Amino acid sequence: MKRIMQRSYLIFFITLAFFAGVAFLAVKLVLGSADWVSKPYNGHMASSSGLSQAGSILDRNDNAFVESDKDGKRKYNGDYDTRCSYLHIVGDNSLNISTAVQSMYRTELTGYSLLFGLGMPKSLKTNSDIKLTVDIDATKAAYQALDGKKGACVVYNYKTGEILCSTSSLSYDPADPPEITKENEEEYSGVYLDNVVSSAYTPGSIFKTVTAACAIENIPDIYERTFDCSGAYEIEGDDITCEDAHGTVTFEEAYAYSCNVAFAKIAQELGTEKLTKTAEEMGFNKQFVMSNINVQKSSFDVKEANDNQLAWSGIGQHTDLANPLHMAMMCGAIANDGTPVVPYHVSNNTSIFAKLGLTKGGQTGEKMLSPDTAEKVKDLMRKAANYYYNVRGLNIAGLDFCAKTGTAEVDKEKQPNAWFIGFTESDEHPYAFAVVVEEGGYGISAATPVAVAAINELVN
Amino acid sequence: MNFQAFLDIAVVALRFLMPIYAVVIVYQCYASMRRHRRPEKPLVTLQVKGAKQKVPVLFWENSIGRSKGSDICVLDPSVSREHCVLLRRQEGWFVSDIGSKSGTFVNEKKARDRTRVLIDDEIRVGNTTFILKRGDEYKEGLRPSWFFSKASNKGSLQPYKLMILITLFHLFMAVEACFSNEVKDFMPLMIFVCLEVIIWAFFFVSSFVFNRINFEIEALMLFLSGIGVMLLVRQDVRSAFVQLIAMTVGIVFFCFLVKFIENPDRVNSWRLAIMIGAVVLLLINLVFGRVQNGAANWITIGSVSVQPSEFVKVAYIFVGAAALDKLQTKRNFIEFIIFSAICVGALAIMGDFGTALIFFATFLIIAFMRSGDFKTVILALVGAVFAGLIVLKFKPYVAERFSSWGHVWENAQTTAYQQARVLTYTASGGIPGVGVGNGYLKYVAASESDLVFGLVSEEMGVVIAFVIAAAIIALAFYSRAITTRSRSTFYSISACCAAGLMIFQSALNIFGATDILPLTGVTLPFVSAGGSSIIACFGLMAFIKAADERTYAAKRIRPKEEV
Repeated sequence: MKRIMQRSYLIFFITLAFFAGVAFLAVKLVLGSADWVSKPYNGHMASSSGLSQAGSILDRNDNAFVESDKDGKRKYNGDYDTRCSYLHIVGDNSLNISTAVQSMYRTELTGYSLLFGLGMPKSLKTNSDIKLTVDIDATKAAYQALDGKKGACVVYNYKTGEILCSTSSLSYDPADPPEITKENEEEYSGVYLDNVVSSAYTPGSIFKTVTAACAIENIPDIYERTFDCSGAYEIEGDDITCEDAHGTVTFEEAYAYSCNVAFAKIAQELGTEKLTKTAEEMGFNKQFVMSNINVQKSSFDVKEANDNQLAWSGIGQHTDLANPLHMAMMCGAIANDGTPVVPYHVSNNTSIFAKLGLTKGGQTGEKMLSPDTAEKVKDLMRKAANYYYNVRGLNIAGLDFCAKTGTAEVDKEKQPNAWFIGFTESDEHPYAFAVVVEEGGYGISAATPVAVAAINELVN
Repeated sequence: MNFQAFLDIAVVALRFLMPIYAVVIVYQCYASMRRHRRPEKPLVTLQVKGAKQKVPVLFWENSIGRSKGSDICVLDPSVSREHCVLLRRQEGWFVSDIGSKSGTFVNEKKARDRTRVLIDDEIRVGNTTFILKRGDEYKEGLRPSWFFSKASNKGSLQPYKLMILITLFHLFMAVEACFSNEVKDFMPLMIFVCLEVIIWAFFFVSSFVFNRINFEIEALMLFLSGIGVMLLVRQDVRSAFVQLIAMTVGIVFFCFLVKFIENPDRVNSWRLAIMIGAVVLLLINLVFGRVQNGAANWITIGSVSVQPSEFVKVAYIFVGAAALDKLQTKRNFIEFIIFSAICVGALAIMGDFGTALIFFATFLIIAFMRSGDFKTVILALVGAVFAGLIVLKFKPYVAERFSSWGHVWENAQTTAYQQARVLTYTASGGIPGVGVGNGYLKYVAASESDLVFGLVSEEMGVVIAFVIAAAIIALAFYSRAITTRSRSTFYSISACCAAGLMIFQSALNIFGATDILPLTGVTLPFVSAGGSSIIACFGLMAFIKAADERTYAAKRIRPKEEV
């Protein structure tokens, strides 16, 4: 029987293995439970229409975007335009907009924790309010300035990381969500995406900022060079064109006038490797996280590009894609000596990951440019803004702007996408911003007013 | 403070206390198992003739031979490696030769079959002669097992107190169910009364008819199956009653089986009959089987459906185990292997892969417990992996289960519907649970059987769900620890295998439902709804109960503590 005893250690080890499995399950449960409960089919949430007991979501001045009234109804504040403007940050009752606060932070809002579960009686529920860094009025102003066109606008404080304005269009009223059927699918396409964090567009001329930064670092005599622009430049049998012939321009003029020919030549000279290195340093092909939301990556890929395609890439065409939040962050880095402060919009962040400090907003991010290059790019952008300021009258409360417009050709049949990115040079109002308007036409006419509207609201 | 808020706080406090209470109950059962009566001392002693050396005989069955693993190792070249077995039965001590070369002699008479030996009789193996002496002639101390608490330790809870604790626990569940959100009536209390009548009747029969002192194993299984019954009330009252009936049948089966295997020699004579019976049962199943959830493992007689494979589990372990002097015979082992092949094959044809897997795991455990040979086990395992791959190729619905394994959230509305619900509702329950009858998992198919872990977590909280797993772990540790305290290797092997089977089945159930393993659709012992399953579980417990030498000891007034 001694032998049987020895062999029975097999049972002992099987039992230990089972125990280990149970322990693993416990760990899995602790880590995943908050995620698992917030599923649309969860009966415990649906039975009280999901959010009826949930806490309020407040803007930076404690105006409630949304709150629960006494009867357990979720009340969305503001007029129709206001409600549409914050739809993508706040979300509606459903989980359709997955990056919205009401989806991402549902467990905090409803007071869920593994300790109490969802079965607590109403009188004992511990829900909590969530405060955002966003300004409700600026968001509305930006949404109205978008004027029903698809697009996005984001403004953030590049010194603190607080997102002050973030709006995405197409939108709908969260208090009265439309029923999306086969018939109106087309009309509402992309409405569930928050374009600020979940979309990426062809950048067009705003990408010249990256090419310029690369040139400053790699071509020592770039400021002494001049470029001849006759309106078109042929590489490998295909023309790169400018709207007008710019004549002979310096590097700084080329950036300010957004001369395609000059930047195509610069990109060609820099080559694939250097351009890719700078683009990646400045955040292309990189994953950013904003208040636990995975931001859509911007992409820059010239591995297989020929000379012509490389030149197009250098002026933000070809396969280049840029995410609006990333663009704002890049501008924030330029304004902030080359290193960005990571943007965030949830100020009392209670999620377990935030507690562990894994994705807390407001801390310094990875360096994008050297302070010296940043200073020089800032100068280029200042001159570009002055050019517009002088010519087209960009003026808000005496703020100094550094900016770049972009007009990205996407489809021959459609109007180009309009971009406007940049920042204000001010200690009191240090705002970095990015605006994109789909099929908006020229950046200066379609995108600039959106940024102006938002910043105007923030300053006043 | 208004009345509603006061009531709410009371309910929540109760829900938070229940998990602690469950921990106390399982701990008390465990502590009771660890308490041992017999001091660690030899049963008899063998005195080597012509020398002063004394060999303690510690077990009811002892192998004598030259090999190191023998219980009594004789370093004598004329002794075979496995020479003979010295065993104790109700009638006294016997010696049985197990195919030695030189033979075994009792008082210089060659022992052919089992031969009775009395105190002072001489047993000769090879050139060594032993004289059988009483146990108390051996004075040296022996190393006690870690599992059993020291004899001097304070006694554990009296069985009747344990039963009161369990009854109260079930009562709390019934009261909670009475005030469930959807239905408010007193049906749960009625079920509760029926349940308690059954378990107390069992307790009294065990204590006063069979005169058994110990009741901790029974208490544990009654506790668990009571939870299963009370959870069913708000799901389907009819199945709660079915479960109660099955429990009663299970208890009777348990008592019968404990009695039936009282004599390990009688067990051996019934072995072939049971084997044939099990094969016939499986054949009937194959011919008349009804397909349910992709597996044809049900047969219906009138209004009763049974799952024969559950009962074959009991027969399987019965056939697999044997007394020490029968264990080594080739015939015994070959019969077992043929029987295994028939069982696993029949289940595979029925398409019940969960159960086939359990049988196969049990086969490996039994094979190892009998032979101690790792090589055979690994070889069998490799063969099984190949067989498994073939199954995946030809049975697409099994492969489908694998495809959603680890990808629950992508397939939450399709192939992983059940697992996704289990995870969501497990998390929804939290520590206190949402209350008996207030869950949503109960609307998902098979929630009361395959997904019952999720149902317990949701309605009673995750702690209680983990306590159930802990209870099964405690049973397994106990089954292992009593190995050398069994009256025969038949009991120790069968107890270990029953425990191993239950652990494996629990693992498939719990980890399958929670997406740690693919979902195979097996029941959680005791807690899952399912008549055949619960009867089989009670049957398996009979092996563990029988393995404890105290089970068959007559109740007597304990002598004053010996020093």
